Amino acid sequence: MIEIIEAAGLSIQDLGREGYQKYGVPVGGVMDRYSAIITNYLVGNDRNAPLLEFFMGELKLKFLKDSIFAVGANSEVRLNGEKIEAWKSHMGREGDTLEISMPKNGVYGYISFQGGIKCKKIFGSCSTYPQAGWGRYLRGGDKVEIQYSSKKMPERRELPEELIPKYEKEQIIRVILGPQREHFTEEGIRTFLSNKYIVTEESNRMGYRLEGAKIEHSEKGADIISDAIPLGSIQVPESGKPIIMLADHQTTGGYAKIGVVISADIPKVAQTPIGGKLKFKEVSVEEAQRIWKRKWNTLQNIKRYLNGEIRALRVKINDESLLAFVEEI
Amino acid sequence: MIRAAGDSALIINLGNEIDEEINKRVLSIAKRIEEEKIEGVREVVPTYTSICVYYDPLIISYEKLKFLLKNYLREKPKEIRGKIVEIPVIYGGKYGPDIEFVANYNGLSVDDVIEIHTKPLYRVYMLGFLPGFAYLGGMDERIATPRLKTPRTRVLAGSVGIAGKQTGWYAIESPGGWRIIGRTPIRTFNPNKKTPSIVLPGDYVKFKAIEDVKEYEEND
Repeated sequence: MIEIIEAAGLSIQDLGREGYQKYGVPVGGVMDRYSAIITNYLVGNDRNAPLLEFFMGELKLKFLKDSIFAVGANSEVRLNGEKIEAWKSHMGREGDTLEISMPKNGVYGYISFQGGIKCKKIFGSCSTYPQAGWGRYLRGGDKVEIQYSSKKMPERRELPEELIPKYEKEQIIRVILGPQREHFTEEGIRTFLSNKYIVTEESNRMGYRLEGAKIEHSEKGADIISDAIPLGSIQVPESGKPIIMLADHQTTGGYAKIGVVISADIPKVAQTPIGGKLKFKEVSVEEAQRIWKRKWNTLQNIKRYLNGEIRALRVKINDESLLAFVEEI
Repeated sequence: MIRAAGDSALIINLGNEIDEEINKRVLSIAKRIEEEKIEGVREVVPTYTSICVYYDPLIISYEKLKFLLKNYLREKPKEIRGKIVEIPVIYGGKYGPDIEFVANYNGLSVDDVIEIHTKPLYRVYMLGFLPGFAYLGGMDERIATPRLKTPRTRVLAGSVGIAGKQTGWYAIESPGGWRIIGRTPIRTFNPNKKTPSIVLPGDYVKFKAIEDVKEYEEND
């Protein structure tokens, strides 16, 4: 059991609800799947184990029972006031306090506990979705229960430096154009692909509203007959200012979509702070799927490395250090 | 027409207007795809005129899925026969605070609004937006009323409202700008049920004016 002492933007999440969008149920789940999955792997959990997501940090938790945990964020982390490393598993003993500062880069962070957080599942998921009353943000005084765990430290405890996700304030975000490309003029598409767009304060887990050069619609206009909204869809309403739909986005909507962010780059969008800048770059579906495959393979290699199934070698070429996973034959 | 919607979804577009025949085809083909259980397909979401197929690109590529789906578009699909669902509504009073506005705006009496609203058989075109929200077609334009200028921060589940030429109800509590004319005492959306929504796309809705909440309170 963990007690929340101080919290802001803290919620229980997993990888969301799959299969219910036809009933209007949003997928939801963590904003940055990549960081969340690694944080779960660090304590030996499955990728979908419920964990805590926090926004911007400044939180304090207390262990009411022993628990192996990891923090997935580029924050300063302290256990009983002593500095400990993020992206590494640790043992929290009964009575210990855990403090996490604002991330130095990125905005969403994760805390995993071995065994995962216990919760009442709705549509197969623990993800908090306050809009429907499915859980709420956690506050000081709340307690979360951890599932049974073996208390056995994972084979390897630490994520190699090279694999720690680092998020810049300016990002290049790859997109697949469409599905409503014809609702935009050629000039509109050029504007979209050649300008930087700023993340505004009107951004939350549902989507990020961007400010920047106005994107021109064609004679077909900004409105469409409502259709489905995949994760990462970039809607452009009448204002000409794009909105990127993120984890808690509604399932359907009536604004023309100029493009969809590729799966591999969703975490980069999610981790961009207010005031951060995004520059969009067009890629093909085939390329996006290749990039995703590589990213997925990296995740699987991280899992196997932490489980002690494969080894990692650091290769230094001039000043750059690269990581290679190697398998015993 | 099939188009990519990112790297893990595609959209099959079957028309360009809100039309019962197009929507019937959408629902039939969506069901057909769902029943096929193609490996790698995660979700099939039918909307007014299109079908969104969510898939896992690690299992099936865009080109391969597109090729498979094209076959279903050539077939003549079986029509889905929707059921008629009666939705009891207590109109006006504290349950429908905007009903006078809707009446005045359209130069009608409150009774006229109720009569006009309960008359049609509304088609459920799709579910979306928020959990259990049904997009209905067929409202009489004589009661069309613009949305509130400032949306309410909290609209109770079951509230029945009008927004422009649309009518519907809030399946869950949420903020909203619809003109609320009444409330249904029945629970239209329940996550614990196998089919969580009382209405499905292709069904028809008939609103029925009731006076008393009590008779419905028990049978959730």
